[in-house]
Amino acid sequence: MSFDQAIDIPEIFDADDLRVTLLKEKARYSLRLKSQDVTAIKKASGLKLPAKIMGSTRTKDIICAKLGPDEWIVIADPTQKVKLDKTLAKVSKEFTCSITEISHRNVGFEISGSEAAQLINVGCPMDLSLDKFPVGKAVRTLFESASILLIRTDEHSFHLECWRSFGPYLRDFFARVISTR
Amino acid sequence: MFEIHCPYCNEKRSEIEFAYAGEAHYVRPTAQEQTEMSDEDWSRYMFIRDNIRGEHAERWWHNSGCNMFFNAIRDTVTDKFVMTYKMGQPRRTETQIEAARKNNAEQKAKS
Ligand SMILES: [Zn+2]
Repeated sequence: MSFDQAIDIPEIFDADDLRVTLLKEKARYSLRLKSQDVTAIKKASGLKLPAKIMGSTRTKDIICAKLGPDEWIVIADPTQKVKLDKTLAKVSKEFTCSITEISHRNVGFEISGSEAAQLINVGCPMDLSLDKFPVGKAVRTLFESASILLIRTDEHSFHLECWRSFGPYLRDFFARVISTR
Repeated sequence: MFEIHCPYCNEKRSEIEFAYAGEAHYVRPTAQEQTEMSDEDWSRYMFIRDNIRGEHAERWWHNSGCNMFFNAIRDTVTDKFVMTYKMGQPRRTETQIEAARKNNAEQKAKS
C-alpha cells in the first residue's frame, strides 16, 4: 500500500468539464539557497530551478517551482528519488544551504477541465484569469484556510498540493462543491 | 476583504495571506548596548510603541505566500495601505508617502 492510499483518498471525480485526481506518490524537496549559489547549484544538480519568483519549470519527471526569493520546491516522480537524494546530499555538503526531503509532507491533486479554475476559486481568492495567472505560474496561497501550492500546468489544468493532514479536508471540500453543481 | 501589494511577489494578494508584525524600523539594541542600557530603556524598547493615529510605518508578513517580511505605510484610521517596500530599506519620508498617495489616486482614476 502506498503512502497516499494509506490516508484513503480515492480518485474523486471525473466529468467532461471537471476532473479531480489524487496524484500518485511523489518525491519532494524544499530548497533554501543563497542567490549567489543558484547558478552553480543548477549546474551541479541538473535541476532547472526557475530564476523568477512564482515561476516554475516542468520536465517529464520533475517540477521545480520558486515560492519565495530564496525558496524552491522540487516535485519529482519517485523513480528519480534515489538519484536526487544523492545529488542533493552532495549539493548540501558543498554549499551553505538548506535542503530538506519532504516527500510525504504533501499530497497532490490534479484539477483539470474547463471548470477547473471555477472549482479552485470556490476556496481560493487568487485571480486565475490567464493573463494574471499564466501557464507555469506557481504560488503558495490559501484554500479555505489550508496552505496550498498551486501551479497552472495548462490553460485548463492545475497541480494543487496541500499538507498531507489537510488532504481529506480538501477532498471532502471538492466533493461537496461538486455535489452541489 | 482587500488586497495588499507584496514587494517580493510584486503583485497584489488577498489580505488573508498576510499577518501584521508590529511597528517598523524598530532597531534592536546590540548585545553590547543591552548590557549597558538601563532597565527603563530596555522596557521602553520592549513594550512601548507610538500607536500612531494616521500614517503608520509597520511590518507585515506574507506568511501564506512567499513567506517574507516587508514594511508598509498604512493609515490606521482608514485601514488603507499607502505603500509597501522591502525589508532593510529606509523609513519613507513624508514626500515619498505623499507621492505614493498621489500615484495611488491616479491609478484608481485610470481603472
Ligand atoms: Zn510575497
